[in-house]
Amino acid sequence: MGNYDAKVPPIREARLKAGDTFGGALCELMDCCREGCLIQKNRSFWQAGSCQMNGAMMMAGTLEKTVIVNHSPGGCSAQLHFLSFQAAKGMGRRGKPNLSVPWLSTNLTESDVIGGGEKKLLETIEYADKTFRPELIFVVLTCAPSIIGDDLDEVVQTARGRVNAEIVSLHCPGFKSRIFASAYDTFYHGLLKTLSFSPKPWLDYRPIDENAPDAELRYAAWAWQKAHTVNVWNATSIGSDDEAEVARLLGALGLTTRIYAEYASRDELRKVSEAALNISMCDVHDDYILKYLEEEFGTPYVIAGMPIGFRHTREWLLAIAAHFHLERQAEALADYEEKIAKDAIAPYAEKIKGKRVLIYGGAVRAGVEATVMAELGLEILGIRTYHYDEGADAVFKDVERLSPEATISVSTQLFEMTHQIKTLKPDLVLSHNGTQGYMAKLGVVSVQLFDMDKVFFGYTGIFQILRRIVFEFKNTSYRDRLSKRIRLPYKQAYFEGNTFQYIKN
Amino acid sequence: MSDFVERPRSSCPLGGALATLANLPDIVPIIHAAGGCGGNLTASIAFGAGYLGDGYCTGRTSPTTAVSETEVVFGGNERLEEQIRTTLELMEGKLYVVATGCMTEMIGDDTDGVVREFQAEGKPVVAISTPSFRGDSYHGYEIALDGIFNKFLPKAKKKNPKLVNIFGLVPGYDPFFRGDLEEIERLLTAVGLSVNTFFTPGQTFENIASAPSAALNIVFSRVWGRDFAGKFEEKHDTPHLIADLPVGPEATDAFLLQIADKLGLDLQKVQKIIEKENSTFYGYFERGADIFCDGDLKHYAATVTNATYALPLTRFLTRELGWVVTDSFVTDKLTDTQKSVLNDGEFPLQFLQGAQEIARALNNNHPNGRGQRYFDDLSPLYILGSTLEKRTAAARGARSLSLSFPVYDRFITDRGYAGYRGGLHLFEDLVGQIMSVKS
Repeated sequence: MGNYDAKVPPIREARLKAGDTFGGALCELMDCCREGCLIQKNRSFWQAGSCQMNGAMMMAGTLEKTVIVNHSPGGCSAQLHFLSFQAAKGMGRRGKPNLSVPWLSTNLTESDVIGGGEKKLLETIEYADKTFRPELIFVVLTCAPSIIGDDLDEVVQTARGRVNAEIVSLHCPGFKSRIFASAYDTFYHGLLKTLSFSPKPWLDYRPIDENAPDAELRYAAWAWQKAHTVNVWNATSIGSDDEAEVARLLGALGLTTRIYAEYASRDELRKVSEAALNISMCDVHDDYILKYLEEEFGTPYVIAGMPIGFRHTREWLLAIAAHFHLERQAEALADYEEKIAKDAIAPYAEKIKGKRVLIYGGAVRAGVEATVMAELGLEILGIRTYHYDEGADAVFKDVERLSPEATISVSTQLFEMTHQIKTLKPDLVLSHNGTQGYMAKLGVVSVQLFDMDKVFFGYTGIFQILRRIVFEFKNTSYRDRLSKRIRLPYKQAYFEGNTFQYIKN
Repeated sequence: MSDFVERPRSSCPLGGALATLANLPDIVPIIHAAGGCGGNLTASIAFGAGYLGDGYCTGRTSPTTAVSETEVVFGGNERLEEQIRTTLELMEGKLYVVATGCMTEMIGDDTDGVVREFQAEGKPVVAISTPSFRGDSYHGYEIALDGIFNKFLPKAKKKNPKLVNIFGLVPGYDPFFRGDLEEIERLLTAVGLSVNTFFTPGQTFENIASAPSAALNIVFSRVWGRDFAGKFEEKHDTPHLIADLPVGPEATDAFLLQIADKLGLDLQKVQKIIEKENSTFYGYFERGADIFCDGDLKHYAATVTNATYALPLTRFLTRELGWVVTDSFVTDKLTDTQKSVLNDGEFPLQFLQGAQEIARALNNNHPNGRGQRYFDDLSPLYILGSTLEKRTAAARGARSLSLSFPVYDRFITDRGYAGYRGGLHLFEDLVGQIMSVKS
């Protein structure tokens, strides 16, 4: 692939046919993506969003015993307060010490921007190591030092000789990519360039003495364990209860599950290669690292959608089971689970049948959720995805089959979302974390598309999603009253025109 | 050692400017920076200041040029021109403020030039320069105010002798700015003044527009807003008064008398209001005496706040509660001049930023006992700081209340600590925090 040797990871737009701007029909989107026109699209009006740097720090901050060094002026790390408290909670939910990650900003000043910030970065790394004694230090390269040409890797190389922690560099200046998903590749690139994914003898295991009488037995035990262990790759939007549901189902097939890379420690990461299979829980999240692990260790991988809803969960389980010749068991498991869960969800599904719904969030999650809702008898008015790349094609072919009429928007933009809510008038929105306040102000009933404190995956998940939707419809007073008093910042004329009128090309 | 910062309690000038603009009525920001700056910076305020949240045109509704590599290489003037044009077309506002980020400043975009073209067409657009490497949020607050009040607003034809403007409390970075402003407005209105607070929900663009006609600017910070008020005075001939935020009856009595003197108000009327406020305050305060005294709630205290809150808070704890404040940490990055303006001898201040540094200083100043039988340690201790101080407090077995940025463990709406009511609120919160562990 070549990318893995590079110092700097490729951005999503360069690695895949990816884009963040589209409005129209799904078949057009898939053509546009295939032909590469998606990447050319742009808007003449933009609203603020997030950036790949923030995403990279969001992931890095979840690793155990970590310090983040943000090589930047004072503002870039502003969200780390929030992200570190969130990560601390996530740690706690996974039975680990719920300590929030410390971080430092090199706090670049005017003279640093003129004279270079490398010396300061080195001092900051040394201070971080000495003060917090972390196992890992993530050094994050932002816009300003990237423009002045600070050599991050040179500094990191020097620092490696001086500090105890392992240093991972993350190249993620915000202006380089408009696609948040680039952060996933940046993060994994940093990990794979620096950290070991193989266990160390005597530290992680006792080597087998070939001449010992039990050598053969011990070897067989190791081989059996590896052959029945799978790595499941998580994402920040996947909660601990989702991980538990997945581990429960894989456990029922006799597989041992290890969850990576968020909330793992440096030592746990050394076990990555000790698995029979790497499994993705989101098609556009981790192909970069899974392909690397296949190249490097020969570990096969499965990218088969998200285990949400009956059909996807079954397909996901079957794709995994196929590697272990456990298809029959997986079918039986899915049959059994569905039988119980179908009875449980029936009264809830009945209550929301026929509702007209808009879904907004990450490409794969939004697509998968749309098909689940469509199969439950809801009408999908539209799907909004933060970005789109060819990794999402498999999921969206399924969407096309079930909801050919749905409007597809690739957009992080709240003005387009507001337009759609005002013109499509959905009964319900399933929407990404961070947009719920806007939904309430628009007076539309909405439910989180994900929430790290709740369960969405598998059989437990589908029951809980439906329960939450029904709960939300039980009393809508808050939204109704609030929305009557809200003044929107948009001029009325916009709502009389096309949602996508600010898209160019 | 370098001036890197551990867990900064401020962001950059762009962040401070956006926090400021986000809390002013009918103002639409246009962020000339990478697409993430606006979202990241405003979210840190929307969540980190007691869950302040988003308002009219803030956070992820904020227009931005979202510059990419193309603009960084070829310049962003055209993109800016396009974004201002579409913003004027799509977004409803009385004033549009273009604020720059580090990357567009570094590549040398002619932001002023682009904005001038729109101004020439009579469009209400103003540009401010807020590169992230030139100061922090507090500077951004002053830059934003300067752009609106000194650059954009014309001189008033006539002064209103009863109108005052309030400055110095920085939205978000003073997490109780709204409650504090409400109380100041309530008191000054009671003594017969009209008050522009700008940043409370009841204010409109009219308040901004009327600012140049004010008789006095009151700046509730010895360091933040001071330069801006000086420039305001130069342009609009409005004098300014630098005052500490009054917290509790003693400080508020003195403040009201100072204002009466400054603006020639009817002293008898002011005295009457002071009397009435005091009897209300003590009517409540008195009832707290039982729990406060029987509960043995006298504490040593350490404060960890910005420059604006340090002295008012220390004074309240010392003068009204009779606590022994041993350490007052100021977490802003200040110049030596600014430090000397604060350090006037009333209370000694320590200037440190990082939570770790502060915890260490506290331990160095007051070592914990190591099992000695007779040891006068710093206990009972109450730390009034940010959420970052909770761990420091827990490690020392101290109590803590979060009241400085970032505040992640409380939800703040119109609560404030200024004035008479604010003093009561602070008393209530300090005691309430202790009682909240009961079950």
